[in-house]
Amino acid sequence: MLHYLLSRIISLLLSLAVASLVIFFVIEIIPGDPASFMLGLNASPETVASLKAELGLDQTPMIRYFNWVSGLVVGDFGISYTYKVPISELVVDRIQVSLPLALYALLLSTAIAFPVGLIAASKRGGTADFGIMGFTQLGIAVPNFWFAMLLVLFFAINLRWFSAGGFSGWDTGFWYGIKSLTLPAIALALTQASILARVMRSALIDTLSQDYIRTARAKGLSQRRVLIKHALRNAMIPVLTILGLQFSFLLAGAIIIENVFFLPGLGRLIFQAIIQRDLIVVESVVMLMVFAVIVVNFLVDLTYAVVDPRLRRDG
Amino acid sequence: MTLLAISDLNVSINEEVILKDVEFTVDQGEVFGLVGESGSGKSMTALSLMNLLPKGSDRTGQIILDGKNLIDLSEKEMCSIRGRDIGMIFQEPMTALNPVMTIGNQVAETLIIHGGYSRSEAMTIAREKLARVEMPPNRFSPDLYPHEISGGQRQRVCIALAIALRPKILIADEPTTALDVSTQAQILDLLKLLVKEEQMSLLFITHDLAVIARMADKVAVMQMGRIVEMKTTRELFQDMKHDYSKKLFAASSYIPETKSKTRGGSFLEVSEVYRAYKLPSRRLLDKQNYNVAVRGVSFSINKGESLGLVGESGCGKSTLSRTILGLDPLQKGRITVDGVEIISGRKMPHSLRKKMQVVFQDPFGSFNPRHKVGRLVAEPFHLLEKSLSASEQRERVVTALLEVGLRETDVDKYIHEFSGGQRQRIAIARAMVIKPDLVILDEAVSALDVSIRAQILDLLNDLQIQHNLSYLFISHDLTVVRAVTDRVLVMQGGEIVEEGRTDRIFDHPQHDYTKRLLQASPRIPAEWVEKETSQRCHTS
Repeated sequence: MLHYLLSRIISLLLSLAVASLVIFFVIEIIPGDPASFMLGLNASPETVASLKAELGLDQTPMIRYFNWVSGLVVGDFGISYTYKVPISELVVDRIQVSLPLALYALLLSTAIAFPVGLIAASKRGGTADFGIMGFTQLGIAVPNFWFAMLLVLFFAINLRWFSAGGFSGWDTGFWYGIKSLTLPAIALALTQASILARVMRSALIDTLSQDYIRTARAKGLSQRRVLIKHALRNAMIPVLTILGLQFSFLLAGAIIIENVFFLPGLGRLIFQAIIQRDLIVVESVVMLMVFAVIVVNFLVDLTYAVVDPRLRRDG
Repeated sequence: MTLLAISDLNVSINEEVILKDVEFTVDQGEVFGLVGESGSGKSMTALSLMNLLPKGSDRTGQIILDGKNLIDLSEKEMCSIRGRDIGMIFQEPMTALNPVMTIGNQVAETLIIHGGYSRSEAMTIAREKLARVEMPPNRFSPDLYPHEISGGQRQRVCIALAIALRPKILIADEPTTALDVSTQAQILDLLKLLVKEEQMSLLFITHDLAVIARMADKVAVMQMGRIVEMKTTRELFQDMKHDYSKKLFAASSYIPETKSKTRGGSFLEVSEVYRAYKLPSRRLLDKQNYNVAVRGVSFSINKGESLGLVGESGCGKSTLSRTILGLDPLQKGRITVDGVEIISGRKMPHSLRKKMQVVFQDPFGSFNPRHKVGRLVAEPFHLLEKSLSASEQRERVVTALLEVGLRETDVDKYIHEFSGGQRQRIAIARAMVIKPDLVILDEAVSALDVSIRAQILDLLNDLQIQHNLSYLFISHDLTVVRAVTDRVLVMQGGEIVEEGRTDRIFDHPQHDYTKRLLQASPRIPAEWVEKETSQRCHTS
């Protein structure tokens, strides 16, 4: 187990190092210079040069890379070129929206996908299975921004149960916060739940044809108990893999939904920063997301070992 | 007293008749054997008893267990019978246990769902039951997972969970087919002992007549879903009436007629070959450990000779054959193929590799299912120095197919369109198509039914005579090795412990390990078979 853990940690650190290099140098070769962008087209070269010096952009890339990384390690993300505030403040504000939204959507999607996948697998070939397969196909095919607009039309404009957009902030109370995230979370969860339910179904069907399921049935377990007690845990590895990927996607990939619902999340922050050539923000937030993705994958790797004892020995 | 009485049992799956008027009784404490080839309906009989038949099955007739007709019971009632009144163990111990549950929990589960035991009570009994199958808790913790124990030990766990509630009848469906001879002997002894001590009945299903001779009180022979002959075991072996039983029996001890073979000098020389694998280290800075699979092995094969290689699983047989074929690099030692020497660290050149081909156990697994037979059989052509034209290739593929008893039209078929025996013929055709000198037969007939096996052995014999082939015949089935080889190597723990002429090894084994191996190998008692040995079946 210790060996497994250590090897995972080493691979985590390596991934982070490589990711930081790639992000930094990709941003480096993107055309557009923050200083000239901030000063507008008519700025004189001298003004641009002095702003560059002020922002530290006149140093060599190597030095800037090391400054950036050493800042990241201690939690100093630098100062936004456009907002003129520390990026960490921006991130903390935005993450209060993005992280709960991602978790909320993930929770919804899991809560839907698990029972739906279980039913489809146990009634394989039946009407329920057929219906579920059809619906999930639809769920994957429907673009989530369009589904989001439908939700707004129906629940916000017609029924007036939810507001059409914006985020009230957590200061107004937990339930208000949850309420303003509900429609976006549903919009995000639809696709994810559909994918997850299908993965769940096929993993379970695969597991149900294994010999040990027959052994369990021969012991006198009912079909239901076999499904819950023996098949489910064995089917978890592919499901966990997809769950990990989905969390990463939900954290970073909610840009469109955040725009539809006017949510001040990380996705919108990056989007605006790219338009304004606020490269230091782009760099740091992207790095943060990469960090989140890698950490989530690391956690998924650890759960593998919890779920499957065979991985504890010689991973 | 009759415990189980089956009558008029008819089963069909999607309208196809699987069992037809099956009828037999099993007495209390009796071992009842069901024998037959694959597809004869043995396993389906067992599964219809348990009502665990595949979807789309239809079952009629009577299955009376202890006065109760199981056919009338609801699924819920069957759940309470399975595991409590009927225990069952299956063929594949490697996959029969849930990989994410400890062995203790898997045994305890039977007790919890039927017996109304609490978890801790169930665990205590599970420990006792594991000890009962010779897996005492002080040596095998109930917290072990299935992947941490061997195949034979897993089968013991399966037995423990099947007998945990002391069922009235235990069904064993080919319980030792996947195990090597010594483990098989231990498991068979254990089953016999348990049946006697716990006063259970045993329904024992196998394709192996020697195993049934050793185990059963009464035997039923099945063919195409029917019971064709049923007698006490002794009577059956001494006085077979039905043609199919006779055919089955003759095929199981079939020896191909050996005409005089042409011989030549030495073809393959293996000297001091050594092969080790790195073991995954537990901790990061531990010293690298090695598993030495083959340890200084030397032997030779002459042209036209059949050399047998026997030993238990894990003894290094397969590693050795991979090394000879050039699939694994030679780490130490020397291999000489037809006078050309390969030293360690060097790759085997194509010109030598084409002189050696291999046929594996699982004919289906060794073919790409998406390619047609013509392309599959043509695979070894890449070893030839000059490439053949398409028409030349086809011509040689067709010749090879004809030679193994298939037809020209088979070239355009896919592998799933063939039966197991035909697939093995295709595998042999693939090996023969570039006219090798040595063919390694790695458990090549082990998965085949006895009558098909007899045909394949005949085919191999014909091919050997025709092409003066050498065979390296790797098998755990000592009967077959005895029937077809000239010389035998006995391998244990990566070393060759005994070597000699086949009849000498089998009649006068010298090494203790060889003696043990021969003793463990199931045999039909000599006094039962005197008459039949003179019979020969001609099944080709």
